[in-house]
Amino acid sequence: MNRFAMMTVLFTNGLLVTAATAADKAASPLATPKEGFWTGVTAIVLFLIVFGLLSTMVWPKIVAGLDERNEKIKGEIAAAEDARHQAKVALDEYEKNLAEARAQAQQMLEETKSQQNELAAQLKAQADAELTEMREKAKADIDAAKKQALNELYSESVNLASVMAGKILQREVSVNDEQRLMDESLAELKTVNS
Amino acid sequence: MMSSVTLAADPVQHVINHAFVVNDDGVWLWSSAQTNMIITALIMLLGGLFVAKAVSTGQESEGHARWVTNNRFAHMIEVICGYLRENTVRPLLGERTNALMPFLWTIFFFILINNMLGLIPILDLQNIIAGKIAPEMVAEHKAFIGGTATQSIWVTGALAIASAIVINGAGIKELGLGGYIKHLTAEAPIFVWPIIIPIEILGTFIKPIALAIRLFANMTAGHILVAVLLGFAAQGFFKSDNPLLGFPVGVVSSLGVIAIYFLEIFVGFLQAFVFMFLTTVFISLLAHHGDHDHDHAHEGAAAHA
Repeated sequence: MNRFAMMTVLFTNGLLVTAATAADKAASPLATPKEGFWTGVTAIVLFLIVFGLLSTMVWPKIVAGLDERNEKIKGEIAAAEDARHQAKVALDEYEKNLAEARAQAQQMLEETKSQQNELAAQLKAQADAELTEMREKAKADIDAAKKQALNELYSESVNLASVMAGKILQREVSVNDEQRLMDESLAELKTVNS
Repeated sequence: MMSSVTLAADPVQHVINHAFVVNDDGVWLWSSAQTNMIITALIMLLGGLFVAKAVSTGQESEGHARWVTNNRFAHMIEVICGYLRENTVRPLLGERTNALMPFLWTIFFFILINNMLGLIPILDLQNIIAGKIAPEMVAEHKAFIGGTATQSIWVTGALAIASAIVINGAGIKELGLGGYIKHLTAEAPIFVWPIIIPIEILGTFIKPIALAIRLFANMTAGHILVAVLLGFAAQGFFKSDNPLLGFPVGVVSSLGVIAIYFLEIFVGFLQAFVFMFLTTVFISLLAHHGDHDHDHAHEGAAAHA
């Protein structure tokens, strides 16, 4: 209720209610010196006593309590902020390390793949070379064996032919004849093979 | 019963201080306001000790609980103290806050408790009892207890004197005696000094006088309004010749009294705060001239309060 409304109520009531019979002389709200002097003295003395006692027994404890609590709260907030900062730094570092580890792993994977491919290529090349070598060797062996077999075949053939020729001619074919026949046959064989 | 309580012809009688012991010269040696102030002092001392114990940090063995104020009343006082110190005084006084806070807290709670005691109808209750056992005491408007101590201009004046001592003492301590006297010139050119210096000297007295009158007037006006409305309500209900007219008047007046009572509770807090706040502002005005612009910014606030 604002002042205007209060005054309205007051005024309305004043009009409606019959004024009370003024049995007493209207008192003044302002006390005279005789009435108020010792009250004032009591007020200031009591106030000073209360101020003195509170200043020694109460306010220091309340001030200490408030200050300690303030310091505690400030300290806790600072510690919490510090911890949050440290956690953020740790998280950032962890994420950075994780990203680095991922990149490193990826790089290692790629290197491994590359090495594998390289190794596979080397192995393949080596295998190919060995295979070629083996094939060449086998071919050479086969050729040698073939040549040896042919030589043996011709040698046996020559021997056989010599024996047969000896029997036909009724005389022994000398070693020199055999050798000559063999050389001629080999020469013909080489000519045929070439 | 009602005649002694609410139907007195003069509502001011319910508000003003009442004598209890008067000497032959008519000087009041003891009055109801003095008893009220003793009760206020006891409340402040006992309540203060209780709150101080509750607010103090406990033993380490209590763990985190040692930082907590468990009692609600103590917590309320702690919040009020913290608010007044950090939000009201420190922005104005800065480093001087801790030194001046005990005085400012004391004057705030001293006025507040006296204002609140004034809202308790102790005087009327006493009149009811005294009407039975000592009717002459009621007839002579004597009372041992009750009323509003801060309604007395002598009480508010005493508190204003205390404030004035602190305001000027803090000013002299801050500026030095020379600086304090120099402050009376308001750093104006010499030819303005004949005007400025008397104004500043008058201001030194007017400030506490304004404090005293503001508190006295607010308490007096509010309580007279309550007493008047109570008188209207009582007359409307019990004394009206025409019930059809008297009853509505009684109802409206009763509702008005309830509303005004709530307003008075608020005013009780507000005036205690205003007294303390203006004391703080006046202290802050007597600071070094480097802070002067800042200080004058508060003069507007002081003028509005």
